[in-house]
This record gives sequence, C-alpha cells and structure tokens, in this order.
Amino acid sequence: MNTRVDSRMIELVHVNRSFKRADGQTVKAVQDVSVVVEEGEFVCLVGPSGCGKSTLLQMVAGLLEPSDGGIAVAGKEISGPGRERGMVFQKDSVFPWMRVIDNVEYGLKCRGVAAAQRRDIARTYLARVGLAHVERAWPRELSGGMLKRVAIATVFANGGRVLLLDEPFGALDYVTRRQLQSVLLNLWDEGGSAARRTILFVTHDVDEALALADRILVFHSGRQVDDLAVTAERPRTVDSLLLPDMVAIKRKLLAHLGLEEGSAASRIAASHEAGV
Amino acid sequence: MSLTARSKTQSDLSGSLFSRLKTMLAALDPFQIAGVILFVAIWQSLTLRLPAIILPTPLGVVERLFADFLSAPALSYYGVSEANLYGNLIYTAENVAVAVIAGSVIGILTGLLSARFGLMRAIVDPIMMTAGTVPILVAAPFLLIWFGVGRASAVCLVVFYVAVILYVFAQRAATNLDPVYEESARTLGATPRQMVRDILVPATVPEILGGLRIALAGAWGLEAIAELLGSQSGVGKVLEALAGATDPQGIMATLLALGLTAIIVDALAALAVSRAASWSASAR
Repeated sequence: MNTRVDSRMIELVHVNRSFKRADGQTVKAVQDVSVVVEEGEFVCLVGPSGCGKSTLLQMVAGLLEPSDGGIAVAGKEISGPGRERGMVFQKDSVFPWMRVIDNVEYGLKCRGVAAAQRRDIARTYLARVGLAHVERAWPRELSGGMLKRVAIATVFANGGRVLLLDEPFGALDYVTRRQLQSVLLNLWDEGGSAARRTILFVTHDVDEALALADRILVFHSGRQVDDLAVTAERPRTVDSLLLPDMVAIKRKLLAHLGLEEGSAASRIAASHEAGV
Repeated sequence: MSLTARSKTQSDLSGSLFSRLKTMLAALDPFQIAGVILFVAIWQSLTLRLPAIILPTPLGVVERLFADFLSAPALSYYGVSEANLYGNLIYTAENVAVAVIAGSVIGILTGLLSARFGLMRAIVDPIMMTAGTVPILVAAPFLLIWFGVGRASAVCLVVFYVAVILYVFAQRAATNLDPVYEESARTLGATPRQMVRDILVPATVPEILGGLRIALAGAWGLEAIAELLGSQSGVGKVLEALAGATDPQGIMATLLALGLTAIIVDALAALAVSRAASWSASAR
C-alpha cells in the first residue's frame, strides 16, 4: 500500500504545442516541456516574448490543448478548464456589466453557492485586496490597478488550489505593480505555508520574478532552458535583492534573456537607460 | 402608518418624475428649437404664394390633426374601417410592436448563434445578406398574395426587415466581444449555458439595443408603406384614402401624427437602453 503523500500539484509530461500560421507554416510554440510543481510552490515562468510561456500557461488552464504530451493537476489528467485552476489574465477580464462584488462572486454563483454565503466570501477577499469600499461600483469606474485587484480577489474567492497568472501586472506602472505583488504574496501566504496555493506566474520582468518566486523556470524558443531555486527569505526587500545568491540568479536570468553584461543587447539597453 | 409611507413614496415618485422632466427640458438643444421654428416659418411663408390644395398652412395641419384624431367620418366613406386617426395609429403601432418583437427575437438569436457556431453562420449568413441587399419592399406584392390584405402581410414585411438589421448587430456585437471574458468565465467554472446567460447576452446588450432603435425607426415607415399597398386599416390605409381624395392637409396631419408617435416611442426606447446598459459608458 502506498501511504506516501504525493505533493506534486502540477505535472507536465513531454508537452508540445504547435500552431499553424496563416501562411501555412507550423510554429512550435512549446517543445517537449516536462515540469513538476510541488503543492504550495510559487513558480515564475520567465523568458523573452514568444518563448512559449503564455502558451504553456494557457494549456495548464485548459484553454488550449497540447498537441502532444500530458498535463496532470493534483494527480488527474486535465481536460478543459476547471475551477480548481483560477486564472488572472494580462488583459482586463473583469466583467464590465457586473458590479465589483458580483464579479468576485461569479465563480461561486456558477456552482450554486448560497447568495449570503458567497457574498460573505466575496466581501472577505475584497477587503483583503483593499477594495471593500467599492463593492457596488461598476468596473469602468475603477483604475487598471484596482481592476487587477478585483481579478485577484475573484480567483482567490473561487477557491482554486492552483492559480495561473499570465503577466497580470505587465501593463501597470512601477508603483502599482509593486503594491499588487505584495497584495498577491500576502494572500498566498495568509494561512501559513501549509495553506499556500500553487502559483504559476508568467512574467517578463526579471525583478518581479526575483521578488515573488520560490523557483524560476526560464524558457527560450519553446523549450525550458533553466530551473533556478530562489531561497531568499520573504518579504524580500531591496537589500535581499543584493544578496550574492540573488545577484547570481539575476545574472543568469539576464544572460538567458541575451542581456549579459558586455553583450550588444545590454549595451543598447544601457544606452537607452542612460537616455542617450 | 402604511398610508403615510405610501404618500411618501408617491411624493418621491412625482418628485423624480418632475426632476426627470426638468432634465429632459434642459436637454433640449436651443438650436433644435430654432431649427423647428425656421422650418415652420419657411413653410408658412410658402403658403402665402401656393394655393392650399398644394400646400396647407402649418396651423391648418395641426388643427386638422386635432379634429381627425378622435373622429374623422369621411374616412369610412373611403373604405377605412376605423373612422378616426387614433384607431388607425393603434392598429399600426400594434403591428409594429408585434413585428419588432418577433423580428428581434429571430435576428438576435440567429445573430448570436452564427457568431459562435461556424455551421450556423455558413447557413444563415447568405440568406440574411441576400435579404439585406434586396430592397425589402419588393417582397410586399408577393406577401400580399400569400397572406392577403390583413395584418399578416404587413407584419411579415417588418419582421423580415427588423430581423435582418438585428442579425447584423447581434452578430457583430458577439464577434467583437473580447474572448478574454468568455475564457475568464470558463476558468471560473461557468457552464456553456451560464456563459450565454451571464457573458454573451449582457455583453452584447448595448450594441443590440442600439440596433433595435434603428430597426424601430425604420419599422414605422415600412409598416405604413405596407399598409398603403394593401390593408383595411392603419396609418398607411388612411394616407392612401386621403391621397385618393386629394387632401394634402389630411395627409400632412396624418404624417405628423405618425412622426410624433415614432419620436415618442424612440425617446422611450432610448430611456430603456440607458437603463438596461447603465454599466456601459457608450450607452449613456
């Protein structure tokens, strides 16, 4: 009898995905990716645009099917989306025709949770993301950062054990992005390490990955090219980003992105930063 | 106590009605008023040079409208079954209401479905597009053969017209809807049925209601023309009878009555649109 508690939450086995472009050519977006993510892990997927990281996330969400290979979540092969896998999109996905609180409740409503109960849950999470005061507002009355808070509250309220975030803060300004990173981390960590949900977080921002992740998976041209553990304590301050380990990881990431010091790309980037 | 409560809500109601009237009056554009005055002035000055049999005076037309509204015995002489304007207006309005409801149900359903199901689109698109390019009025004699001079043939024509317009609006609204909303609903656990009810329908409502107002405006004219071609009552039948009697004053009074009715209905529809789509900035 097998009594071992399996802690594998997400398992990708030789996953491939190709697309047919309009001109008839086949593009291999994801090539032979095998990944195991433990329960409660916060994993960032990093890579240049077009590296396949978003495609991979869409497949875990069940919105895209792999051309080949298998994906299992909590030991079960997935087919299509499921509420145990919540998704936050880069675009604003908050329904403009529902008030904020109705948006947060929507997943619960879909599976018939009683009105009073789902309202309580929604209020709890709206308060956690700092939006208790706008529960009756229409989404068009909110800023981009507030809409992302609503989206985060919605997936947490829906109770999925796996959360998939596809460049959720990519379109936000620096200050808002930093605020939302800590909102997300606090929600993730609120019940202690045993209650943590498993998170896959796609980003192209190296510093964001360093601030959030337990583990960073690096992708290039559809393949996984590196798997880096980030062991620094949370909350990660400006100082923790200067620890030798962190600097080493950042160097590796920049190298993967073609931005290693002295390279042509980094010289161009540097001259842009200097305002030349 | 319940009495005081009732009187309070009543005063609230009349208060909100009054304030709404005030906002409606405030919304009246002074240039629009000036435009109407200018139009009437030109009309009046033309009547000074033209005989009344060609161009009746504005005042004469308004007087005629009031006179004929409740009773116009001459109409029965010409074979109109209702010898007044309001009865014929109601007849026309009923037909428009039935046709707009039936036409929009057909148009919206097929439009939304064709936006989501390729097979549906492949089947319905050619039919609707052909129907949309042919001037719908040419079908009128044909429908008269099928349905006779009753309500059915006029209603059928308007149903056709409304369905084509709403098909295009509903299809476009559903096609333009950002897929992120449906993807998000799916990941939250919505069933296909819930997705239609909670995402597709509410998201497309503002655009569809915009189409409905356009269809409604055209429906009045088309219904009147259909009645003109063959009917026992209705505004179109009245116009036909008055034309036979060479009565331009009566014709203009009837047209004025039809136009005013259409404007009032459109204003009500606009109010309903802004209510139903209060979430959307574009519908306000």
